[in-house]
Amino acid sequence: MRAMERDFEDAPGYRRLPRPDGPDPDDTTVVWRAGMARDGGVRRARRVSNWTAAALIAGVAATTGYFVHASQSAAPAAGTPAGTAATSPAAHHRACPAAPVATSGGSGVTAAVPASGSCVGGGRASGSVAPAWTGRDD
Amino acid sequence: MTPMPSGATARWAWTRVGTGAGGVAIAERDALGTTTRLAAWPPQDLGRILGAVDAELTRLDLEASRFREDSEISAIHRGGGGAHPVSAGLAEAIGVALAAARWTACLVDPTVGAALCSLGYDRDFAEIDAGQDKALPAPAPVPGWRSVRLDGQVAHLPAGVRLDLGATAKGLGADRAVRAAFAAAGSGGVLVSLGGDVAVAGEAPDGGWPLLVADEHRQARQFEPGRAPAQVVRLAGGALATSSVTCRRWRRAGRQFHHIVDPRTGYPAPGPWRTVSVAAASCAEANAASTAAIIAGEQAAAWLTVQGLPSRLVAHDGSALRCCGWPAADWGRLDVPAARLLPAGPGGDGR
Repeated sequence: MRAMERDFEDAPGYRRLPRPDGPDPDDTTVVWRAGMARDGGVRRARRVSNWTAAALIAGVAATTGYFVHASQSAAPAAGTPAGTAATSPAAHHRACPAAPVATSGGSGVTAAVPASGSCVGGGRASGSVAPAWTGRDD
Repeated sequence: MTPMPSGATARWAWTRVGTGAGGVAIAERDALGTTTRLAAWPPQDLGRILGAVDAELTRLDLEASRFREDSEISAIHRGGGGAHPVSAGLAEAIGVALAAARWTACLVDPTVGAALCSLGYDRDFAEIDAGQDKALPAPAPVPGWRSVRLDGQVAHLPAGVRLDLGATAKGLGADRAVRAAFAAAGSGGVLVSLGGDVAVAGEAPDGGWPLLVADEHRQARQFEPGRAPAQVVRLAGGALATSSVTCRRWRRAGRQFHHIVDPRTGYPAPGPWRTVSVAAASCAEANAASTAAIIAGEQAAAWLTVQGLPSRLVAHDGSALRCCGWPAADWGRLDVPAARLLPAGPGGDGR
């Protein structure tokens, strides 16, 4: 955490508001009941987890076999024209920019325009757009 | 379409600023008096996506810009008080502004237009005359959003009321533009930033869109002289908007002003926060909430907490206060509430 930064909820005297659909977060009875339930739940979870692990191992083995088979049968036949693959996001590697793509900040002024008129009765046409993308699409 | 002003240094055409590194294409251009940035993955069909964004920017500018004579809102102001038929788009923009005023208990009020003009912000910001010496008005409350009525596509304004939709229209524009961009893309994910107010749609990159959160939207590094330390967060859905009093400042009659006006006084809000960033389901909400927080001052953190909006408030000394699960770590993930707090406009939710 950087210096000079803090959370509003850490401020002295701050008390979290109760949720409209849940218990008061400061209700100690609720916390105590939750602890009782947790003790019993841990034992049951251990029993269940052994069976879950066995099922997962079997499932992974079956899935691996399926995909090996599927990838062989889905290989393109010789002579398929290039560039006809689907262009859905799934066909691309998901983007992963390593630097910020934009800055959220106060809207500084960048457009310098010639002086003329004002908004009080004598406005002018300014800031019109010129939709001219002349670059090359990838 | 209005011709490009001659002699302008603004970049009216899209410029590619990212080459697709990390699988994301990035382009930006100047529009609406600030910078628009688009990021898309996969980096294909960029021309079509940018065309869709352009159409939305043009539409918003023609509807709601108080700085161009040919906009609908300027026509309303010239027409004086009374009933004014408006397009569906402007009706949506006014409706969102009025809903934001109700939601923020009048802190974000669209009737601050005349107050901003009287302080000197009566033209595109780049044209403000720094040497204005005209007398300043006495502090006074603005007319108030309740003086404006919207019946379908008819807006009723009292005489003398000027609308400024700046606290919500840019966010609404980002929401509209990102919907259009995603519809044009058809797959993958897109991000639109209008002067630092960011909306995303579709699938985010792995782990979310990395965004720098800073005082000013042109800041590109975490540490810049004179700026509060910035933070990188990852946004997987929804929107993130930032309001700051460190930019759009001007001098008048020997005094320094900024553009976030407190409707209770008609003068720039004097609160403790220099910059507030808020994440929300839509950019219009995030935009309204960040502006309201600047005006709310000491009560901002409590209000944002009640709303359940992850937020980061930076004080004038550069210290930061986080609310509602805003991540402490750099590259932390922002979890945005799914529920909308403002009603969706006629444009619908769509994403």
